Amino acid sequence: MGDILGLVLKRLGLGLVTLFVISIIIFFMVELLPGDIAQAVLGQGATPENLAALRQQMGLDTPAPLRYLGWLAGAVTGDFGTSVVTGERVTSVIGERFQRTLFLAAYAAVIAVPISIALGVIVALLRNSIFDRVANVLTLTSISSPEFFLGYILVLYLAVKTNWFPAISSVSDDMTFWDLLNRTFLPALTLVLVVMAHMMRMTRAAIINLLASPYIEMARLKGTPPWKVIVRHALPNAWAPIINVVALNLAYLITGVVLVEVVFVYPGIGQALVDAVSKRDFPIVQACCLIFAATFILLNLAADVGAILTNPRLRHPK
Amino acid sequence: MSYFVVGYFAFLVLGSVLSAHFNRRTPFLLLFSLTLVSFVLGIVGGTDMLRMVAIGAGLLAFAAGVSYSFREFLIVIAPVGVGKELKTAPLTAAFGMFVVFTYIIAAIFAPVIAPYGEAEVISSAYAPADENMLLGADQLGRDMFSRIVYGARNTVGLALAATISAFLIGALAGLLAATKGGWFDQFMGRVADVIMSIPSLIFALLMLSIFGPKTIVIIVAVAIIYSPRVFRLTRAVAGNVVVMDYIEAAKLRGERTWYLIRKEILPNSMAPLIAEFGLEFCFVFLLVAGLSFLGLGIQPPTADWGSMVRENATLISFGDITPLIPAGAIALLTVAVNFVVDWMLFRSSGLKER
Repeated sequence: MGDILGLVLKRLGLGLVTLFVISIIIFFMVELLPGDIAQAVLGQGATPENLAALRQQMGLDTPAPLRYLGWLAGAVTGDFGTSVVTGERVTSVIGERFQRTLFLAAYAAVIAVPISIALGVIVALLRNSIFDRVANVLTLTSISSPEFFLGYILVLYLAVKTNWFPAISSVSDDMTFWDLLNRTFLPALTLVLVVMAHMMRMTRAAIINLLASPYIEMARLKGTPPWKVIVRHALPNAWAPIINVVALNLAYLITGVVLVEVVFVYPGIGQALVDAVSKRDFPIVQACCLIFAATFILLNLAADVGAILTNPRLRHPK
Repeated sequence: MSYFVVGYFAFLVLGSVLSAHFNRRTPFLLLFSLTLVSFVLGIVGGTDMLRMVAIGAGLLAFAAGVSYSFREFLIVIAPVGVGKELKTAPLTAAFGMFVVFTYIIAAIFAPVIAPYGEAEVISSAYAPADENMLLGADQLGRDMFSRIVYGARNTVGLALAATISAFLIGALAGLLAATKGGWFDQFMGRVADVIMSIPSLIFALLMLSIFGPKTIVIIVAVAIIYSPRVFRLTRAVAGNVVVMDYIEAAKLRGERTWYLIRKEILPNSMAPLIAEFGLEFCFVFLLVAGLSFLGLGIQPPTADWGSMVRENATLISFGDITPLIPAGAIALLTVAVNFVVDWMLFRSSGLKER
């Protein structure tokens, strides 16, 4: 077991280092601005007094590395400073929104993961049949469509023409859980369509790769029934690629969610990021980027750790 | 029961019987499953549903016919060697090539095809389609059709420029890393790791918020974001070539690094790189479209598919599909390129199962 623990710890450490480097990139990229942040926020028409006041307020007179340390210390404890446009605490702006985004992503994941893995395995077993080809074309189409295309098609047919679901996902705190599920169904479905196509293709590739290995052929040749070949022989080795596929696609959800939130006017963190980018509200942009990047790294890390833990060769060392 | 329903089913059954009689398995399977599907949907949704199914099937058949003719046409005009390769192309790949060809024509001859200029206000906002305007007007009264044609030039051009720069950076770094090895290789690998661990859309948004949504910023940002993927592939492919004997021989001859890359390594790692270029283009195109949908891409009044969708999105709540057309144009091109790439990957069979 010591072997596995070492590997996992090493991977975790690597993830932490990556996150640290990314926080440096996110912070110091803003320093690359022509002029400085205060100038960029206030624009050309700013008076020297206003500039000086904003610089004072943001603490721009201290050197950048010191400010970085302060920002990092704040970020670790969940404090990202104040918005330069509205003067609100960044945490109060994005805190609740982050929960909503997580809810949407989880909703999509709960639907997408079981269906796409099941379909992926079925398509892999039926490979090169007409079903496989049709599935190939359909998933390729779904992957190639921008999220907003799928989203607006769903709005047109499931909201405007048939009135089954609301087109705009405005949510409030006093809604019941079912109401919430109904309101957010269309954005979740859009995400499901995109992620499902990716997951199905990757599951199919992983399973086909596995079924081509000699020990599966051996099991078939010695007369094991087909279901037993899958369950007893293929599945134990398939867990690692499947966990990998799931985690990678959950990470993919993180990016997809930004566009989908804008399409459905869903008050999540993606919408906050896009608003902040067009208003050049850097503290919020930095905070959102760091949160998205951290989630992304965490999920990739989970994929790697999962692959290590489910690898039979590592679990039963010789 | 209208004449349409009777005629439709009579046609399907006749087609199935004929194809079964002449032992054509695939057409028979397709026609008969279409018959069954139409039967079920006809009972559930009535004549309207049946009409939609018929139109859909007709469109598919039309697309298949066009792709088939286009493939035969290419086989005839192409030189013998290329023609043989083309014969192995499935219909989907031929369809993809046809679509790409159409887009290229639209992009090159945009001023000739489009009846109006891309920024020309010719009517009132959201005016419906009439004999002057094929698809009606947009939110400022500009001709939608002309803007879509010009969009082929602007949107695809931007995505292409970004892909090419990403490719040049990534491929050059990958080839250098493979030939030089050592600390340079290690360093570039770590840099690629870090860039790839930031979600691409988020990284692009960060850069655009800092440097403002200018075309050159978009190209540079996309190049930085996507070059690590090209780098990794090039590094892997070139890494296999570098250990060959003929490279050793060239090194002993005293050839320079640049000569090695250009004359020995590059020609031997071209096939996977071309396929990767197609894949990369799809990713870049979708990212650029997403950015312009968010209002951070090419700035108005230049016509751009992503921002056209956003600007006219209100029409969707009135059941109008016009805003979906530019979005569909994005999807169609990406699907087409993906179809072609799929076939190319399948052909260079080392990457058969991806």
